Amino acid sequence: MFTRHPLLSTAMFSLSALSLIGCSGGSDSEKNTGDDHADHGDHAHDDITYKIGVIAKSNSNPVFLAAKNGAFAAGKRLTKELDGATVEILWQTPAMEDAQLQAQYVEQLVASGIDGIAISCTDANLLTSALKAAVDKGVIVVTFDSDAPDSGRMAYYGVNDYEAGKELMRQLATVMNNEGKVAVLTGNPAATNLQARVNGVVEQAAEYDGIEIPMVYSFMPETATEAAAKMQQVQTANPDITGWALVGGWPLYTDNALDGIYENAKIASMDPLPLPLQYAMKGQVQVLVGQPYYGWGEKSVEMIVDKLHFDRSPASDMVIADFDIVTTETAEEFLKNWELWLGKD
Amino acid sequence: MTTANPAPKKSSTKPPFLKRLLAHQESGLVLVIILISLGLTLFGTLNPVETKNAIERPAGSQVLLLDAQGVTHANGTIARTKIATYRVKSPDSHTDYPANQIKNYDSTTDTLYKITKLNPFLNKSNLVLVTKDASFFAIIAVGMTGVIILAGIDLSVGSIYGLCAIVGAMILTNLPPDTGWIVAVPIALLVCMTVGTLCGFANGAMSEGLGVHPFVITLGMMAILRGLTVVIPQELFGTQSIGGFPTSFTTGFFKAEFFGVYPVPVIIMILCGIVGWFVLAKTVFGRRIFAIGGNETAAKYAGIPVKKTKILVYTITGALCGLSACAYLGYYGAAETNAGNAYELQVIAATVIGGASLMGGRGTVIGAVLGAIIIQLINNTLIIFEVDTSYNQIVMGAAIIIAVVIDQTKQRIQARRA
Repeated sequence: MFTRHPLLSTAMFSLSALSLIGCSGGSDSEKNTGDDHADHGDHAHDDITYKIGVIAKSNSNPVFLAAKNGAFAAGKRLTKELDGATVEILWQTPAMEDAQLQAQYVEQLVASGIDGIAISCTDANLLTSALKAAVDKGVIVVTFDSDAPDSGRMAYYGVNDYEAGKELMRQLATVMNNEGKVAVLTGNPAATNLQARVNGVVEQAAEYDGIEIPMVYSFMPETATEAAAKMQQVQTANPDITGWALVGGWPLYTDNALDGIYENAKIASMDPLPLPLQYAMKGQVQVLVGQPYYGWGEKSVEMIVDKLHFDRSPASDMVIADFDIVTTETAEEFLKNWELWLGKD
Repeated sequence: MTTANPAPKKSSTKPPFLKRLLAHQESGLVLVIILISLGLTLFGTLNPVETKNAIERPAGSQVLLLDAQGVTHANGTIARTKIATYRVKSPDSHTDYPANQIKNYDSTTDTLYKITKLNPFLNKSNLVLVTKDASFFAIIAVGMTGVIILAGIDLSVGSIYGLCAIVGAMILTNLPPDTGWIVAVPIALLVCMTVGTLCGFANGAMSEGLGVHPFVITLGMMAILRGLTVVIPQELFGTQSIGGFPTSFTTGFFKAEFFGVYPVPVIIMILCGIVGWFVLAKTVFGRRIFAIGGNETAAKYAGIPVKKTKILVYTITGALCGLSACAYLGYYGAAETNAGNAYELQVIAATVIGGASLMGGRGTVIGAVLGAIIIQLINNTLIIFEVDTSYNQIVMGAAIIIAVVIDQTKQRIQARRA
């Protein structure tokens, strides 16, 4: 066998040898640093480094770029503020949304000795066991934007999606003078965060006598062009619609998505990103309800460091953030935030 | 007689072992794996990472935090850098740990962690993780090798994997939670592999029966099956993901722990690799695949059942997607509609890095498995070097091009020598 298939044998031998060495690595290569340092006291801590992995849903979504910049900014600031400790941020985010890849990143970060993980879960079901294993090994886990409540994570930071839906409808009702017919635009109808926002919109709308219970329109796949096309079709077929509640900002990522709509209806949308803000500045969108994109990274890192450095946990495991309400008047001012959030400063 | 004629004796002499070794198709891959591993091992030895292990404490003991003056501080009132000693106090004794031995104390779980230094690459958890992460698409790459040797392509493998996972999850979530693995595992394997086999058969039968290039058929199937993967859980469960399987299927089998690691997907990958290698290299069926990929017209005239062989190869690839999906379900304990998204690119990349020619007629199963491991080793390298994942795709794309260029250069040199 060895002589007939030398390469196969060599490959098997090499991998086996590495695995064997690796298997013994737990005892051979692990060294208790206490043996190396006899002294103790303040300068024993000169080299304390907190390594924090940040895993967002995708690299292609600008809201997560803001979260990334928030995390790095918090790392820099805390390194200056903490006496003798360094905070290192490791950005580990798939190019596209991929829960399996996120789970692999969690496992690999834990194997490489990470101290904390901040993660926005693409799929809570799939990530729960990987996060649980991380927590069991003493890694401090904070979720942001999308939670995995059964994972044993220390805290969740973000908005309450149901309340976001209610706020969106509240704002829309105000600009509609509490009367008219409302349509709701949502993406994947199976997405739990979108379901919660839609429920919030519908239940809030029921509180206004002059507002007709809204119809909900969904579209797939969640692209800007699909969303814009859906809105145009619905508005053309139902010219009596006088208000739109967009539980995600999808159509506003294209130019001229609201032609034929904004003339007839008031529009309130989630997510005041740079492109949607242009619609607000033009007066085509009246209200944008924002989430703490930069804070997702910044606050999550702060909470992890607070736990590692001071052994302090947040008062509640649900740290609910406030919404940013952006109107046509405040859109230009709000746009300046994105220069910081996207690292253009 | 042989002494009278030295020439034949000379020609029958085997070339030296090393020369034969380097001439082998996978030699470059093994060399790359060894070089990357040695580099990472060296880097890890010079730059060990700090990790932590819980210290076992006497029952009823408590942890006190002492500063340099020996003053005790309550939890949450002293910074980690100001703690000089962690005192584990029992009713009748106490043990002091200098702060430089301790990673941290977590008052929430009342756990004191000591610092251990670890080679970030050369430790059993990391090595098994790298091969485990490779295993899900390496299993599919075993089938894809046959498809590519046939000069075909299967762009639907990621979608087949996703559909198998979703259908398997629908069955598993309805099994009683206390179902034993002896029932749950065969049921899941049967369901996932049946779905995969049917999809693979449809690919092969349509491309051969309708005479349409497999690129077009599998491209269409990729979209159809991905659509089904999204629609089925949405319509039946109103959700994007399905979980809640019997634990005997997850932690009891596919995520069973052996010596602190979870090697079952790796074992399945190795078994698939061995069976795939045997089928391609040692059976008539395997020879037929190479013959068809080398020259389909000649194979037809030689009496090889070309259509039947091609359909069977696509069917086997589908079945392997089902097997991989079953391992995924067991390991992660859930299925989501995005499962296997863009997997076809990773599978084809592994196969091509493994030395398979997209022109057909050349490729090995061992090469494809090693190609998958190289892809994951590159990912692991980026994590160990703490490189932002935004650069992953750039590095991966460059690695694929470099691997193929090196392989083709090697082929040209060998052809010139021959």
